[in-house]
Amino acid sequence: MEKIQAKPDKKEIDGDYSNVSLRPLDPSDVDDVMVWVTDDKVSKYCSWDTYTSKDEAMNLIVDVIVPHPWFRAICLKGRPIGAILVKPNKGNESCRAEVGYHLASKYWGKGIATRAVKLVASTIFIEWPHLERLEALVDVDNMGSQRVLEKVGFKKEGVLRKYYLLKRRPIDMVMFSLLSSDPQFEISNELYRA
Amino acid sequence: MSGSSSPSITLRPFRLADAPDMMLWAGDDQVTRTLRWKTLTSIEEAVTFIEEVCIPHPWRRSICIDGRSIGFVSIFQGSGEDRCKADIGYAIAAKYWGQGITTKAVKIAVSNVFIDLPDVVRLQAFVYMDNLASQKVLEKSGFMKEGLLRKYSYIKGNIKDSLVYSFLSTDAIPANS
Repeated sequence: MEKIQAKPDKKEIDGDYSNVSLRPLDPSDVDDVMVWVTDDKVSKYCSWDTYTSKDEAMNLIVDVIVPHPWFRAICLKGRPIGAILVKPNKGNESCRAEVGYHLASKYWGKGIATRAVKLVASTIFIEWPHLERLEALVDVDNMGSQRVLEKVGFKKEGVLRKYYLLKRRPIDMVMFSLLSSDPQFEISNELYRA
Repeated sequence: MSGSSSPSITLRPFRLADAPDMMLWAGDDQVTRTLRWKTLTSIEEAVTFIEEVCIPHPWRRSICIDGRSIGFVSIFQGSGEDRCKADIGYAIAAKYWGQGITTKAVKIAVSNVFIDLPDVVRLQAFVYMDNLASQKVLEKSGFMKEGLLRKYSYIKGNIKDSLVYSFLSTDAIPANS
């Protein structure tokens, strides 16, 4: 099982929150998954409603997460505390893919999502060589998530009005993109240095 | 002032009998350059295309001058959580470019689509940077430019940037100038 690990940023104090890694999820992770899928604060900006049972969470893992083309747990010191996924496109749209992520609310504000998105950005263009554009769509009200993408180096391209039905309500979304040719790719050098 | 001599621009569904007229625009590389459509090479191909693609399409109309097909407008609605939005595309024969005809046709389409497709609240269009004529059509029709999407999609072998425009069901169509 492939594991991608971020080296701690030299500028930051080597604290609890730098040991961030990504790995696939499996049914044995259901208790950890329950922590964030049952949290209203997490589901607020996600397309799904808050989960209320372990059976539902198990169905999510088996029917949606495991078969997904690219779905990873965001782990802190090896323990899943959230998820990050990349949705590919077919045909003429295969040059672009969309990244999405969510994190248990207790771990917000500590740079973890930023690390996780950087890890994905540094690997996805290598795993999918035909990919040129990684995009992300964020609710205009979700400032935390917009900051994550800005810190990773995504470029804000505009606000798409009434773009998506979130829980049956059309919402305005900010479009961000990162290109394989964008210059902020020093993370990949860090990762592969001995 | 006596009756206007300007031609009557209308939108209607395609018919098999449009095939010869369709060759004049869908058979022209200049017109299909920005479309996903392959340039048509024969009337037989046009007949097949009308029968298998244009007629079954959920919302595709022929742009007509005095009843004859000179182009098209298509609106394609998303599904699931994307059903609140629809993509609009259009093209007309090169000989009719620069006369405000496409703008008239897009305005007619926009005035009908929110009734025809009641779940749609957003019409969106993707246009290349070098396609200034199409950008003008959208601006004159009341669309709002929202941004530039970098390396957004392939068309005919090239990955290109796209400008994205939108028109909401709550927006107003500008009066004819």
